[in-house]
This record gives sequence, structure tokens and C-alpha cells, in this order.
Amino acid sequence: MQPLISLQNIVKNYRRHCALDGIDLEIKPGITGLLGPNGAGKSTLIKMILGLVRLTSGSGTVLGHRIYKDAKKIRNDIGYMPEDDCYIPGMSGVEVVQFAACLSGLPAVEAMRRAHEILDFCDMKQERYRAIETFSTGMRQKVKFAAAIVHDPKFLILDEPTSGLDPEERESLLKRIELLYRDSNKSVLISTHILPDVQAICDSVVILSKGKVRLDRSLSSLNATTEPTIEVLLHQTPEPFITQLSTNGLSHELGLNGRMTISAAVTETETASAESGGADLTDLVWRSAAASGVTIEWLRPAKNSLETIFMDTVQEAARANS
Amino acid sequence: MPIHNLGYRPWKEKLTRPSSRWRNISASGVRLAQKSLWVKRAVFAAWLPVLYWGLGFFVIGQAMEGKLQLNDGGNRPVVQKAFDAVEKQLKKVNPMLVPTANRLAVASILRRQFRKVPKVEQLASALESGDEMLARNRIWCWLLMTFLRYPQGILILFLIGTIAPALIARDIRSKAFLLYFSRPIGKLDYLLGKFFIPATFIMLVTTLPAMALYMFGILMSPDLSVFWSTWDVPVRILIGSAFLILPTVSLALMFSSLTQETRFASFGWFAFFTLGHGAWWAIVFSTAIKKGMVNSQDLPMVMEEPEVKRWGLLSLYNNIGEAQSWVFGFSSWQEVMPSMIVLLAITVVSLSITYRQISSPLRV
Repeated sequence: MQPLISLQNIVKNYRRHCALDGIDLEIKPGITGLLGPNGAGKSTLIKMILGLVRLTSGSGTVLGHRIYKDAKKIRNDIGYMPEDDCYIPGMSGVEVVQFAACLSGLPAVEAMRRAHEILDFCDMKQERYRAIETFSTGMRQKVKFAAAIVHDPKFLILDEPTSGLDPEERESLLKRIELLYRDSNKSVLISTHILPDVQAICDSVVILSKGKVRLDRSLSSLNATTEPTIEVLLHQTPEPFITQLSTNGLSHELGLNGRMTISAAVTETETASAESGGADLTDLVWRSAAASGVTIEWLRPAKNSLETIFMDTVQEAARANS
Repeated sequence: MPIHNLGYRPWKEKLTRPSSRWRNISASGVRLAQKSLWVKRAVFAAWLPVLYWGLGFFVIGQAMEGKLQLNDGGNRPVVQKAFDAVEKQLKKVNPMLVPTANRLAVASILRRQFRKVPKVEQLASALESGDEMLARNRIWCWLLMTFLRYPQGILILFLIGTIAPALIARDIRSKAFLLYFSRPIGKLDYLLGKFFIPATFIMLVTTLPAMALYMFGILMSPDLSVFWSTWDVPVRILIGSAFLILPTVSLALMFSSLTQETRFASFGWFAFFTLGHGAWWAIVFSTAIKKGMVNSQDLPMVMEEPEVKRWGLLSLYNNIGEAQSWVFGFSSWQEVMPSMIVLLAITVVSLSITYRQISSPLRV
């Protein structure tokens, strides 16, 4: 699969501060999450992709165009939703989206038609005619998202798209992003601090820290646990079940809302068997439940938490730097 | 879901040319600016002087044709008074020269009634020359020059002060930079787009009414041959407007780009304009008092004195007036060169600073 973005040894210095320190990165089609603590270099990386900042050294291509040198061509093919509230006071919501479309080259009348169509898609109703400075944060997010996709870009860069949204709106926006990828083949790069968003829709994750790429993997490979682990939710109190698990040589960890993670202290040979399905462990859990007389509401293979992965990666980066 | 929600659909039509995208910035800026009640009032007020100058075109044109007699406020018509005196003299010299008497009468009135208006002496001389085509050309140029300099020159001070300070300052404050520069828009497109917002309003209140006055003059003329003697006037209007637009808009945009607060940019604009002009007037008045020329009729003469005139370079308004006087053919290039250099310097420095400031929010 051809990468959409390919960066080789990208360095960006702001006087003495090194914002990007030899970035080598390939972003393939799909939905990619860009994670990193504050000051990791995410915004600089995005500005660099858009051709807004000049590189100190390195090279790369975005959608086949040379970085910085073909900045206008790149921006023609990219839809960018900034984190900041960027709007022109005095304009209505629909005028902002139309203006964004015109700047991308849509003729004025067509831009207005398209702006309405996209605002419908974003579920924005009559409030689109109100002055944008009177909008709530959620409505501004919708307008920014609409402005980012109005010109039908090939690639979307979304900077904190769900910040300030209520849970329902957040869910809707994530569904829209997924829909754009699934039905219209738009690849997306999401920069966010909200890890569940990444967990919910991303195919791969890039973690930046101190200007370097610390992790660049598919989410499915990250989620796979090193030892067979199962997550269960019980109907009854867990004490008899816990006793039975210990009897069967299984360890457990209690989670939130009655959830329980169960794993076995296994040998390397047994790990190989667990990777082929973890059937032995599942069987033992069912037998423990039957013996203790508890009802399991659901049972599923446990995943590595993205939060743990993120924290481990960032701490490792900090240790490496110190 | 609304009944008209079609979901997301691709859009693959033909895009507009990249070189024309700055026009979208201008068009949306003009639409936004005209929502302001003050701007609407200023544009309306700016068209009122057209009526007065239109009357001037009509009256002087008719007087030159001998169809109208002007009254200077007394009981006797001034044209008739001047005409009688001139006619008596001409009859003595050569009776064939009598038809020129009207032009001489108009020249006489201009010298008496419009002494304070710059370049009136040159205009009166042109009328006296006896060349009717030249006289008409000169009088139209003079009327249009004074139109651009006095009512419109002062009105645009307020118009630019209302529109321009917000243009870039507001984008910096509301972080609208990313809305522009995440699109295929360059810094030059942005600058051009912003430049043409106040420029459009200035053209609306200077170039357009001046052209309307010219057309009015043509229509009021006895025949269309007048066009051949005045064809250069529209060109002079365009160049004169450019001299008005370039330094003023560049300067106002520069102030706008230096701050996030519109009020500071407005203050900078008005302060630059009034301090420069005020300083020059202070020098003019102090010289006039020193020389005992305290009559307001004498001030134009004081302004023309070399040791006073050089201080006129402090005033943007005066420099623009000098440049326009050259454009309309009332001053030589040597006379106005220092003002031209000042205007060029203001334009170049302002645009350079603005261009640099535009990219600074993106560099961090």
C-alpha cells in the first residue's frame, strides 16, 4: 500500500528549540491517530505537512507532492480542521463554510450550495444562519469540520476534533469520520489527547514525544496482549468466583463496574497455545464460574489499554532523554 | 435527519484559477464591511459632494458658452460685469475677439472667488489663452483634482479608519489565519485580497463619482467633440485615485498587521495622519504670523514658499495632493518629486512590514 505521507529525517528547529528531531514516518491510507504530550511536536508536524513552516532539514512527500515546495498543491488536496477557534467575526456559519470553499477554488454559487449540503451532513440546522461568534463550542467544531471537508479533500487532518463536544455530539462526529473513510475513501490523521477517540476509530497510531516518533504501529497489533487474558463481567458478587479462579491457578484483576481481567501465569509453550485462541483459559474460566455458581454476563479477550501504551511510551522517551 | 440531507457526496467540478482566489478574500471583506452602519453612512456622505461639483461642471460650462450669468451675491451678475469690462477693451483692440469674453469673465471670477483653492491661477491663465479645448480640459481637470483632494480626500481618512484597522488585526485575534493559509492561498493572495477591501470602497467614493462627473460634463457639452479635448481626463482620474489608494491603504494595513487590537490600529492610522498634517499646518501658521500674513487668503502663498513647502513632506495628505496636482497637469515633475518619493517610501515600507507580519503567526 502506497503511503500518503512519507517523511525522511525531518528536522525543524525554532532557534535553539528542536521541535522535530529527525522524523521518519509513513502514513498509509486509513485513519491514523497522532498522539503525544503537550509540546511533543504534533502541531509543528501538522503545519509542516501543510507547508506552513519551512523545514530545517529533511525531505518528504504528501499525497505525491514535495513538502513545502508544492505547498499549495498539498493544501488543495488536504482538509484541515484546526484546534483553535479560527473564524471571521461577523460571518454566519454557512458563510464561513462557503468562504472556505471559495478559497479552495469552488465558484461562489456552487460553494454556497456545497456549504449547505455539508452542513446538512454535519447535522447543523437553522443555527447556520447565525453569526459565528454567537455559536457554542460544539457548533463551532461542526463549522470547522464542515469547512475542512467542503472542498472534497483526499486527506483530512483533524486537530482535536472532539474537544468541547458533549458525548452525543462526540459519538456523531466520530461516526461521520468513519463514514468518510469507509464510504468516500478519505484518509484521516487525527491529532488528539482523547485516547478513547483513537481507540474507537483509528487503524494505526503514531506517538510523538520530544520531537521524535516513539511508536508507529497498527492499533490491532498494539492491542494484542503478550499473555492470554480474558475480560469478564459477572452478575453476582465475585468472591466465590475469585476463590475458584485461585484454585484453578488463574490470577485476576478487578476493574471498574464489576469487570474483571483474568490471566494465567503460563509457560512459553502455553503462550503459543493461547495465541492460537486462548481456548484453555476460556474453558478454565467457564468451569470456575460453573463451580462457584456465578453467571457471566459477557466474556471477551482483553486488549492492551491505549492509555497504558501511551504512558509507557512517553515515560520511556523521557527516560531515554534523561 | 433533514429530508434534504444527501449525506456526503464527492465534488469533482472545475475549480477557479488559483490566481483569482484573492478576489474571494476581497469580496467577502467588502460584504462584511458594508454591514457596518458607519461605513454605509460614510459612503452615502461621500457621494453628496458630487452634487456640488456637478453643479460646478454645469455652471462653468454654461458660463463659458455664454448661456448663463453668474451672480456673486450683489445685485449685478458678475459674469455680465466682467464681460462688459472685457468686451469694452476687446472692441477697442479687435472686434473679432469679442466671443472670448466669456472665458475671460470666468477666469476673472475664478481669480476673485476661488483664490484659496490651489492652482487657480494656472487655470485662469489657461482660460485666458483663448484655446477653448485647452481651457475645457484644464477646467475639468481642476474641478476633478479639487474634488479628489478636498471632500473625498478627507472623507476617505474616516472611511479607511473605519474599515482597514480591523482587516488583519481581527484575523490575528480570532486566529482566522489558519482558515486562509490551510487553503491553497499564499501570502501575496492574502495581502492583495485585504488590500482591495478598502481600495474598493475608496474607488466607490472617489474614482466612480469622478468618472460620473466626467460623464456628466460630456453629456452637458454642446457636442461630442468635447470628448477629443478631454479624453485624458479619465486616465488622470484613475492615476489620481491610485495615488490616493496606494499609500493610504498600505499604511492602514500595516497598522492593522502590527496589533491584535483594532482600536490600536485605528489610533495609529489617525495619529499618523493628523500628527503629520497638524505639524505642517503649525509650521504654515507660525510662518504666516511671523510674516504678518494672517489673512486666510494669504495662506496658499505662504505654503508655496520654499522653506515652508519642504515641511509639507510631513503631511501624507499634502503629499497626496501634490502628486494629484502633477497627475492633473498643474505641477511639474520636479516640483512634486520629493512628495512622490515620500509616498513611494510609505507604500513600500508599509507593504513590506505587512507582508512580513502576515506570516509571523504561522512561524510559531
